[in-house]
Amino acid sequence: MQRLTVIPEQCSGCRICELVCAIKHFGVNNPKKAALRVLITYPHPVVRMAIVCSQCKEPTCAQVCPTDALRRVDGIVQLDENDCISCYKCIEACPFGAIYAHADCDFPIKCDMCGGDPECVKKCPKGALRLIPEAALGESKRLNNVLSYTQMKEIEFYEKGEQKVIHYAEIGKEEL
Amino acid sequence: MSIKGGYFKKHLHVNLTKGSAERQDLTDTFVERYIGGRGFGAKLVWDNLNKHNFHIDPLGPENLLAVAPGPLTGVYLPASGKNSFVAISPATGLYGDSSMGGGFGVELRQAGIDVLSIIGRAPELSILFIDNGKTTTIPMPELKGKTCLEAEGIIKERLNTYAIHVATIGVAGENMVRFACLNSDWSRNAGRTGIGAIMGSKNLKAIVVRGNTDLPIYDIEGLMTEADKAYKYLKEHEYFKMWQQEGLMNVIEYANEKGILPAYNFKDSVFAKHDQVNGAMMLNHYKIGDSACFSCPMCCSNICLVKNGKYTGTVLEGPEYESCAMLGPNVGIDNFAAILSACQLCDELGMDTISTGNVVGAIIEGYEKGILSLSDLDGRNITWGDEDAILELIQRIANRQGIGDIIADGSRRIIEKWPEMDKVILQVKGLEQSAYDSHASSTMALAYATSDIGAHHTRAWTIAKEMEEGQNWSDEEKIDIVIYHQTLRPLFDMLGVCRLPWIELGLNERRYANFYKYTTGKDVSLEQLLSLSNDIYDLTRLINARLGMSRKDDSLPYKVHTNPALTGPNAGKVIDPEYFQKLLSLYYQRRGWDQNGIPAAGTERKFQD
Repeated sequence: MQRLTVIPEQCSGCRICELVCAIKHFGVNNPKKAALRVLITYPHPVVRMAIVCSQCKEPTCAQVCPTDALRRVDGIVQLDENDCISCYKCIEACPFGAIYAHADCDFPIKCDMCGGDPECVKKCPKGALRLIPEAALGESKRLNNVLSYTQMKEIEFYEKGEQKVIHYAEIGKEEL
Repeated sequence: MSIKGGYFKKHLHVNLTKGSAERQDLTDTFVERYIGGRGFGAKLVWDNLNKHNFHIDPLGPENLLAVAPGPLTGVYLPASGKNSFVAISPATGLYGDSSMGGGFGVELRQAGIDVLSIIGRAPELSILFIDNGKTTTIPMPELKGKTCLEAEGIIKERLNTYAIHVATIGVAGENMVRFACLNSDWSRNAGRTGIGAIMGSKNLKAIVVRGNTDLPIYDIEGLMTEADKAYKYLKEHEYFKMWQQEGLMNVIEYANEKGILPAYNFKDSVFAKHDQVNGAMMLNHYKIGDSACFSCPMCCSNICLVKNGKYTGTVLEGPEYESCAMLGPNVGIDNFAAILSACQLCDELGMDTISTGNVVGAIIEGYEKGILSLSDLDGRNITWGDEDAILELIQRIANRQGIGDIIADGSRRIIEKWPEMDKVILQVKGLEQSAYDSHASSTMALAYATSDIGAHHTRAWTIAKEMEEGQNWSDEEKIDIVIYHQTLRPLFDMLGVCRLPWIELGLNERRYANFYKYTTGKDVSLEQLLSLSNDIYDLTRLINARLGMSRKDDSLPYKVHTNPALTGPNAGKVIDPEYFQKLLSLYYQRRGWDQNGIPAAGTERKFQD
């Protein structure tokens, strides 16, 4: 099972993901019709982050849908437009705000992962959107956490005449 | 083939005095002839000048401010987030324009308009809110004195949404500082030619836009294929990663190595402590994130944070080369954190970093040379690299306090007040020179002298090519490269796209003719587009000529002829005045203008309809 994951630290806010999503699904050049949005906040905090459907295993959107138009099939929460009555309860219910509406569109705009090969992942120039196996979720966060371990010290050294820096964690002596 | 896409063919005309907003149709002929962006702007400014018999006070209600994205703005292709602001400039009294990246222009297009023009003056401090098809002027006197960011926050709260784009002025714009800029998306600025002052003169604090409309594209599949090729080309370029990481900050090291980096008000063209203010310094100690304009994979903008010391907590999007060079080496500052603080201050106040760094450098040198006395400086001593004094002076300019009131009126006013400053300050036509020293580059000097907006590199940036391969160029070759740049670079401003993928990573300019073709359905060659761009150069020249400009104004700063750089690879070099005049004559000849720099009689007729 592949999951679409977002790495905000990598995002530059260029919104190419929004554009290609809208072109793929509606055939129009309109980022406001994308099934994901890049949110940019500044100056405190500085965040650039795509808000995209997590394809939850227990999707709140589906739970509130009065007509059962949202169903999780093969790991993707899909919208059946035949059953949808456009009440937009799903948009309000999604804890991430990851379903969208547009005045031109009759139905909620919901990520379908492009059937498993998302256009946004393919076109992101920064690798901020990635498709990874479910079991690997959180890997980069864990690594980042370890790397930014607050007690890190650094020493400079030379290898074949080239200056390098090695980082190491100093164990708190008092606590030993 | 005629126009089938790319345009809404709508012009939104706002009169702030009357409080009216009117959507007018644009004809096929108009959009085909003027393309968009600066082309639309120049034509609207020209028509307005004709209406007022060429008597326009740049800070009067009659000055028309055109806000013009292009037909490719917001379209799926690399870096399509550009928007031009065009008006008669309060810095030069002549044609002026400045372009802004980010997402503002895209949003404006999505509101269903190709160009916005604003005249008049609101009775009190107001914002203009273009919400798709509806346009309103909302008085917001509470925005008075607010920084650009504060104003943006207050506006978003008042309109109860963050999903809008706000282009706003700061205190400098309100005070009509003649190099005030317009700020959007935190740190995207229409920096040059005093666009912010025009907004201030109109009592217009901000233009706010929300647009949801599809952009009209003639052949979206053809466009996708062509754009994907361009994205792929950029991604595979050997310098692509470096651009993502350092962006324009990589130019500091390059400029220092080539001896074209302004230091100490252009007294020198290398900076001893360049390694304290370069891209590596930024990457190692300050950078916390990338930022890109709409649809751009290169994300040349950097987000920087000062994590310790006196300036802790300073956070901004930037700096890029110009801001860093002008507020760093050019004023003698070698502390990167202080440069960040100065840039942030300029962003907050809404003041152009290039002009600010230029005039501050000139003031320091003027004082050093004894042209300015301590009492001229209101008793405040200022020297090279004196961070506190420099930051304070920037504040005083924006708030028009003491000497700041004179500096705020730009280099012309400074020279008027202290005529000797003419030998110190680097400006052409009243616009302060940007951060490429032209002492050793005759093509760059010619580019500054003949740029339609004054001493800015936007129209032609030939210096790198000349430094690298221009040693044996003939005069004709020199003129041709300047004219080619002056024709191609403004074309990007007409199309509403950024030129960096082309100039920095070599994306073939012919692709843009293809982008235009797929977007509009009109099959044109690059040569045809260039010819239209060349027409606009004639038009802006015509505007300037009718406003009284002639050969004498296509001049170089005194220092470029007289005071060579002290050290570095270009030490001792100056532009010989006679040689420069010879180049200028040849330039006029090849442009088809007379020897006074005036386009041929009858050129006007081309722009009457």
